[in-house]
Amino acid sequence: MWLRILLLFVAGGFTVSCSDSQPSPYRYMVVFSQCNNSEPYRAAQNAEMKRLWATQPDVRLVVMDAQQDSVRQIAQIETAIRLKPQLLIVAPNERVPLTEVMGRAKAAGIAVICLERDIVNPDYYTTWIKVDNYAIGQILGQYVVDYLTKKNGEPRGQIVELAGLKGVEAEIKRKNGADDLWKKYPKIEIVTEAVANWSQSLAKDRMTEILSAVPKIDVVYGRNDPMAVGAYLAARERGREKEMIFVSIDGLAGDSGGVHQVEEGILSATCIYPLCVDKAVEVGARILHEPGFVSEKSYTMPSTLITAQNASTYYK
Amino acid sequence: MTSNLWKYLKHHGQPFIGLVLILILGTLLSPHATDGTIVFLSSGNLSDVLLQQTEIGIIALAMTFVIIGAGIDLSVGSVLALSTCIGALMLTTWNQPIIVAIGAALLAGALVGALNGFIITRIRLQPFVMTLAAMIGVRGFTKWMTGNVNVDLAFGDSPSGRFAELFSSKPFAIALWVLLAVVAHLILTRTVYGRYLRAIGENEKAAAYTGLPVRKVRLAAYIGCGLMAALAGLIHAARSHQGNPNDGVGYELDAIAAVVIGGTALAGGRGSIIGTVIGTLVLGLLTNVLRLHMVDSNLELMIKAVIIIAAVWLQRRGSGLHGEL
Repeated sequence: MWLRILLLFVAGGFTVSCSDSQPSPYRYMVVFSQCNNSEPYRAAQNAEMKRLWATQPDVRLVVMDAQQDSVRQIAQIETAIRLKPQLLIVAPNERVPLTEVMGRAKAAGIAVICLERDIVNPDYYTTWIKVDNYAIGQILGQYVVDYLTKKNGEPRGQIVELAGLKGVEAEIKRKNGADDLWKKYPKIEIVTEAVANWSQSLAKDRMTEILSAVPKIDVVYGRNDPMAVGAYLAARERGREKEMIFVSIDGLAGDSGGVHQVEEGILSATCIYPLCVDKAVEVGARILHEPGFVSEKSYTMPSTLITAQNASTYYK
Repeated sequence: MTSNLWKYLKHHGQPFIGLVLILILGTLLSPHATDGTIVFLSSGNLSDVLLQQTEIGIIALAMTFVIIGAGIDLSVGSVLALSTCIGALMLTTWNQPIIVAIGAALLAGALVGALNGFIITRIRLQPFVMTLAAMIGVRGFTKWMTGNVNVDLAFGDSPSGRFAELFSSKPFAIALWVLLAVVAHLILTRTVYGRYLRAIGENEKAAAYTGLPVRKVRLAAYIGCGLMAALAGLIHAARSHQGNPNDGVGYELDAIAAVVIGGTALAGGRGSIIGTVIGTLVLGLLTNVLRLHMVDSNLELMIKAVIIIAAVWLQRRGSGLHGEL
């Protein structure tokens, strides 16, 4: 009976493996370890990754979804190492837990690209395609200062922050970038910070609680667009969405992306957070195809502030 | 002789047959490395699987005792998270030596197990309800204790770095699991406690009438379960290099699945540690086979579900319980 059950799985689930016995048309295997497919930003990364690698006929791309679980991502990378891909691209779920296993991949002779988020030890990756999250925090921080000055005649107001997964580089620097700027203005007060782990639904729940406890809010700073939208939905349920503005980071394209939400007036501003995928594929392809190529240790991708004034230019 | 062996395997050896079949299929379907070796059978890959299964494997050992005693423990995932955080806080924020951190984490797990066991045996709350409440409460306590923030361990020559290096090392973690499995097997098969536990799981009232210490035996099973969940938490903390109040979600279900696949009856009274170890390996190897073939990770969950149903169905066939509800 076990045999019958297992053969059923084999027949149904391993069509991929059947092709292994045929001569492979692929010269290179690239494994992309994605931390969490369910975030819109990550889904956009996956789509772009598949689109760009598809233009390279000698490359087989495999995407693994860690489902926001660091231990699962470690295990997936451990298995990937056994398959000896030529290139491993990792969007780490968290900095510290993924550090050691990425070091093992590099020690096994696999080129390792850190995508957007970094790990603790720079020696454990070949290159890091990054965005300056601190600078983005400062850009949004300055936007908020200007808004509050215009609204209240001076930089004064109450801010609610919605945090992503604690411990990751993006969360730390996006927070510090804005907070360091606001510290210069004593009348700007961060009334509370709630952790919503990048999730729109969690942010809505946290914001609903905050709205009950905080009578006046000027600005909601979501560390990504879905959390800011979740906060907006909670405020709208209480009829308080006009009382405050919502600013955040991601600025994804498409109807459900942050740029469109700025156009719609849901978000007041968003900073485009580049997918970093185009650079990763460009550098990765050079690592695969140019034996003498030595990448830089990191590449910083530029960002842009999107407001009602320029949203239509960027919406696509 | 051969027919006797087949008869034994037919009635009691389904998990073992399942394991062998997965090994055969994994080998046949395995991708090959560039040097021609079979990736699935490589020592590195198989030891990866063992290491990845140590946490669930250790919890499942203790869960076997609880289930044989006609109970269930849904709180093990939360206890694992509690243990990771207590261990990490002790080693970093509170600057305690490694041995104190380990002791505190294990004590916390044992206390949760004792609370579960005490309320189940004394106040007669259903195990499902009590351990569900503990699952929620312990998770809440852990989040409150840490402010819902991960507690990172250091690298290098610090107490937390040394702890992580030791507990995440393959030989240590795998040897610990094997050792505990041997001890658990001996307790279940060679001690009075094991016999009492099976008798209580088979028929608690009859066991009580014959004077068996029902409460003490069941209490010990729950304390053991909390203790093992905490131990698994220490390995988890070392492997993920942090204490994380949100980790361990769903671990109770994986552990129960391993126990059930291993042939332990959910109604209690019947089961074995060997079966549980095999059940744990079946789940781990199956996941590994799928990952080596880059099958969508969501499919892992669906296949696990089918395997669990198939295992329970085969158990019923083996014990002649066709159609019995």
